[in-house]
Amino acid sequence: MWKRFFIILAAIFLFQQYAFAVDDSQLAKEITIQSKIDETGARLLNANKIDKRIVFAYDKADKNAKLKIDPAITSRQVILYEGDYKYIANEDELAAFLARKILIALKSYNGLFNGYLGSFEVKAAPKKFELAADKRAVDFMVTAGYHPVALITFIQKSCPQKRFDRFSNRNLTSKRLAHIYEYIYTKYPYYLANNPYFETEAYQNFLLTSLNNRRLFQEKVKTGSKEAVDYE
Amino acid sequence: MNKKVIFLILFLIYFNLNIQAKAIIQDDFVNTTLKNKNIEKPYVHNNYNYEDTKRVPVRLSVIADINSEKDLTEGQTVVFRSLQDVWHKGRKIIAKDELVNARVETIISSGMNGIPASIIFSDFKFKNVDEGQFSDTYEKYGQDRSLWVYPLKWALTILPPTGSLTNFIKGGHAKLKSDEVVEIYYYPNW
Repeated sequence: MWKRFFIILAAIFLFQQYAFAVDDSQLAKEITIQSKIDETGARLLNANKIDKRIVFAYDKADKNAKLKIDPAITSRQVILYEGDYKYIANEDELAAFLARKILIALKSYNGLFNGYLGSFEVKAAPKKFELAADKRAVDFMVTAGYHPVALITFIQKSCPQKRFDRFSNRNLTSKRLAHIYEYIYTKYPYYLANNPYFETEAYQNFLLTSLNNRRLFQEKVKTGSKEAVDYE
Repeated sequence: MNKKVIFLILFLIYFNLNIQAKAIIQDDFVNTTLKNKNIEKPYVHNNYNYEDTKRVPVRLSVIADINSEKDLTEGQTVVFRSLQDVWHKGRKIIAKDELVNARVETIISSGMNGIPASIIFSDFKFKNVDEGQFSDTYEKYGQDRSLWVYPLKWALTILPPTGSLTNFIKGGHAKLKSDEVVEIYYYPNW
């Protein structure tokens, strides 16, 4: 009788120890990710002389709910969800994600009513600000010493292609990527000439899926046109 | 004989694997236009120290009027003129009438519902001054009409579909006139 009681007690004790150990390792993992995000985020803010307060957080929620407003707009807080984190392979790609969100958070500091109007405009017309955010993200990354091609690889891996462009409130991912490629080519050609991502599967896939858009850009460069290219 | 066949098969397998490993898509455009050329690495601002709060305003104006909708493209160089001498510790940093090149970083076109256009200027190039010591960008906005367009839209929702017609009211273009003062900051100890 007593023997059985002690065995059960020992089993419960061991199970609790294991549960605490699992919790601890989970917590340690989250703390590591959080400190990585804080460091990269602060470096982006400092290098770019951004004198507005923006904080960064890691959230284990798998995906950003569709109806939930981006906290970068409402709370000036950049949240990296686990659903996005799983696409991040290195610090450059982490910087790519954070740099885009920093620009959106910055918009909430501009405009009337302490930036409420600016935030509302970003929410009401996200398509308009999406391309601007991509381009500024490239600038933020370069100034902070990150490789901007990582923005291409991150978007290539994580953003699905929409069906429509004209009737959608978002840009086609292929169009965004083409604009980023054009921006890096014209402003920071050094990074395309010295591209450590060139042989990665994600970048190779970008090259494969962007043949037409790159051809359009090539034409623009050859003809010396100043017109904006209507990417597909 | 058998050994020779096995060796040949192994060689072909190795050769085939090697060929597959090197079959990567090339970016011919980048290869022909950028590779093997002496391209300078862009400026990286990682040596900062923000302890000192001293800043000196630098007042500029464009030498010709600019409009976001007319003859302005991203990447274009815009010339500003310094409106006054800028001194620091008895040394003239920027002379009056010095011409300063800046770059049109991004043009955000005006949108529906009165959302204004904006132009972001960056890369202000001053002679003999480190660009890391200046404000990063200057953004010029057009007229923000969303302030009255959204209330109007909501007021009109009781008369469908008139509220939706306000979608077609666009925001103002971003304009920068030559008599307008653009103020950026020089941080001597950053």
